[in-house]
Amino acid sequence: MERRDFLKISAVAGATAALEGCGNPDHQLIRFVPEEDMLPGVATWKPSICTLCPAGCGLLVRVMQGEAEVVRNGQLGLLKMGLAKKLEGNPAHPVNQGKLCPRGQAGLQVTYHPDRVKTPLARNGPRGSGQFREVSWDDAIKQLASQLSDLQGAKPDGTLALVTSPLRGQRKAIVNAFAASFKNAALVEFAFFDDGVIRAANAASFGHAMPPTVDLGQSNYVISFGADFLGTWNSPVAQSLAFGHMRKGRPGQRGKFVHFEPRISQTAASADEWIPVQPGAEGALALAIAHVIIAEKLRPAAAAGHAGSLIESWSQGLPDYAPEKVSAQVGVKPEKIARIAREAAAHDPAVAVIAGAATAHTNGLFSALAVNALNALLGSVGKPGGIVFAPGSPAAKDAGASLQTLISRISSGSSSVKSLLLYNANPLFAAPAAWGVRAALDKVPFIASFGSFIDDTSAQADLILPDHSPLESWLDDVPISGSAKTVVSVAPPAMNPLHDTRAMADVLLDAAHQVGGDLAKALPWKTYDEAIQAEFTALYKSQASRSAKDADEFWTNAKDQGGWWSAEESKAASIGVSGSGAAPKNAAPQFDGGTDQYPFHFLPFASQLLYDGSLAHLPWLQETPDPLSTAMWGSWVEINPATAAKLMIKQGDLVQVTSPHGSLEAPALITPGIAPDVIAMPVGQGHENFTRYATGRGANPISILSPALVEGTGSLAWASTRVKVQAVGRGKLILFGGSLSEASPELKHR
Amino acid sequence: MAVGVVVLGLAVLQKVLPAQGTAPASQAPASDVFTPEHRTVSDSIREFFGMRPKPVQPIAYTHKVHLGNGMQCTDCHVGVDTGPDARIPSVNFCMTCHQVIATDKPEIQKLAAYRARGEDIPWQRVYGFEPSAHVKFNHAPHIRAGVDCSACHGDMKQQTVAERKVDHTMGFCISCHRQKNASVDCITCHF
Repeated sequence: MERRDFLKISAVAGATAALEGCGNPDHQLIRFVPEEDMLPGVATWKPSICTLCPAGCGLLVRVMQGEAEVVRNGQLGLLKMGLAKKLEGNPAHPVNQGKLCPRGQAGLQVTYHPDRVKTPLARNGPRGSGQFREVSWDDAIKQLASQLSDLQGAKPDGTLALVTSPLRGQRKAIVNAFAASFKNAALVEFAFFDDGVIRAANAASFGHAMPPTVDLGQSNYVISFGADFLGTWNSPVAQSLAFGHMRKGRPGQRGKFVHFEPRISQTAASADEWIPVQPGAEGALALAIAHVIIAEKLRPAAAAGHAGSLIESWSQGLPDYAPEKVSAQVGVKPEKIARIAREAAAHDPAVAVIAGAATAHTNGLFSALAVNALNALLGSVGKPGGIVFAPGSPAAKDAGASLQTLISRISSGSSSVKSLLLYNANPLFAAPAAWGVRAALDKVPFIASFGSFIDDTSAQADLILPDHSPLESWLDDVPISGSAKTVVSVAPPAMNPLHDTRAMADVLLDAAHQVGGDLAKALPWKTYDEAIQAEFTALYKSQASRSAKDADEFWTNAKDQGGWWSAEESKAASIGVSGSGAAPKNAAPQFDGGTDQYPFHFLPFASQLLYDGSLAHLPWLQETPDPLSTAMWGSWVEINPATAAKLMIKQGDLVQVTSPHGSLEAPALITPGIAPDVIAMPVGQGHENFTRYATGRGANPISILSPALVEGTGSLAWASTRVKVQAVGRGKLILFGGSLSEASPELKHR
Repeated sequence: MAVGVVVLGLAVLQKVLPAQGTAPASQAPASDVFTPEHRTVSDSIREFFGMRPKPVQPIAYTHKVHLGNGMQCTDCHVGVDTGPDARIPSVNFCMTCHQVIATDKPEIQKLAAYRARGEDIPWQRVYGFEPSAHVKFNHAPHIRAGVDCSACHGDMKQQTVAERKVDHTMGFCISCHRQKNASVDCITCHF
């Protein structure tokens, strides 16, 4: 090295040495004093409950110390706290036995979602403008209490409406008691994919207003009428486990599974035979099968008991449902119907399930009653390998008002609904535009939402009282299907709340106590967990044989394992012989839209990932490919290849789907897995407002649906719409399994 | 001679590279997309040689005084025999004694002020590995094997705030592992 260079470097070195001592702050944020004492790097597993679909699976949450960026007292900083890192199924839980579906796995993203509402918000601009200002919990609850006070007392100013998702356990008890304290209050439990028709049918046929628990594991012949029991219906994880046992858990026995549906759903893809059936003809098909069984003396007609007596001409052997007579209407050859009937009768135990679009036609109740009668005929009701009803579930009277009745009441001006409380329901998104939800909401002076997110409906709210995410909250649940044991789940919070949120039930209790009077008397608990503990004490006292030495030990054990369940399968709940409810008059489905102008049946379906749209804000679900088409991050319209050729629609083309009630646009997906006269579209996308991941993405098939109801029930007949389809340009279809160039030709030339 | 040049070169390099004084500027992300790349060449060089600026602690904690009073390492660094992290206790822990001990000292008053504000003390990291080394160090097996704290951290009885008296190069770890017949398989530490 040259002397000159050496000196130069030394000079520079001397200068820079002085700057070295400035330190290196790891992070510019301040650190809050930790509220918990945790060993870093050591994980614990805590029980919890999945609340993302009606199944109610048990969870185990892996919790480990980490640093979260949170706001405390208006200041942003870091807080060392126990953080939920991964969700798994709880192996001890009788419903899911350690397994978990993709929706359950993605539940973790609810807690850490960047668009969570972190503190109470009050509207600060016109409704729907999205302008809110932060308010304190004290102010928010005061505002809620004052609105509620006006509706209490001898001469109330008006009444209260509550729209929630179907609830169970103590949350249901608290909400019900709350609503009951307001004169003429409307309590609506609303979900797009609700099982109202199945409940009504099971109440009439078997005296149990609840969905069935299907003992697939011991079955030898399964017939599904549109029931997506492996993906989205009822208790999918429990049913998948049982199906696995049916296929592989019994050496030498594999059982047979036949699936009738116009579209090849995820469950249909696992069937031995997937047979397309004319939309709305599932009931007629079930009765044709029953006809063959009775006519060939494979079972006596009387075996169907009360369920059979609900079907006209059952005792005469269903002469109008001979396979040759209904073959054209049903779309299945008579020989096939007869063969399946004989196979089912010969492979005991055989069981039939119906759900999905089959129960969402105007004749859905008729079809469900027909399948119930078929089950009773096959001898599968209340027997191993057939259907049972979960024990220990609340009695039937939980139907409540329907959303459609409430909306028309508000729209007609005849109601006096002054306040509307929303919890876990998004009617602006999940109800057809033809029901007029938006106009009805405009007529309600005060709307409050307990949601954790601003969605299509809560964007119209005047007050938002953000709930904890499920992992930050006490939870309790009574699963109504999936296990023949008596199950009552409970879980303490798996982690402390990240943000300034409060459990919905606690806020209701707080508001009730502020209002005082009858309302406070109706809700004696101070907190939600106090209510759960009281319920567990009552449960302990009611038990004949007890596992714990006192109620406290019972409670502690339940909290540790995620709930209490009976050791053995409970005795099958008795099947009623005199269920109530008249059979509907119309056996044939009615469709909205003439066949000339609207040539296709429109079939919205539940995607296993987005379900009913309530999970579209979770990016893990948006990016998981649809199991059959591999489509993701958007909407698509499934079209049969022959139909597409006739209409000159290519894969990825933007198509306009028009019903008598509106139109939407989405890219076409050509698939042979759908009948030529049916167009299908997944539900879940098309939110106007639902966090950065779902807002403005895709199109919402619910918006163009007919407002017709399933005859004999208050449920929407969401499969009764007819549509026309035409190509209108180039769309954006994102397929995981296809090369992008197939979906977007403009990318071919890169 | 060559070795001497290399050593001199390294020492010079340390002085020549622009100081990391205002760390945020060079660490601020260029875009919202996460990337492991470095912002500047000098950042990469610093990381490669494991050069980090001397930490400046918010409170002039002194190990000498506490250990001199008879305390043990594990009285405060509680997690060291059960998990990967030795753990620096939170301000609550310090205050259990310092609510009453030495409350007149200015450093203790600083401590109390943090607690009064609801803030934890923002200690700056002294030991650690660069992310690109992909090392996951676990204290517990080392303590169970009987390795003394001073073997890797130097004689704390002579230190006030913790300083990097011992250089944790891979060679340092491997030589001790070889001596004690512990695993030198890559995946023991790099995973």
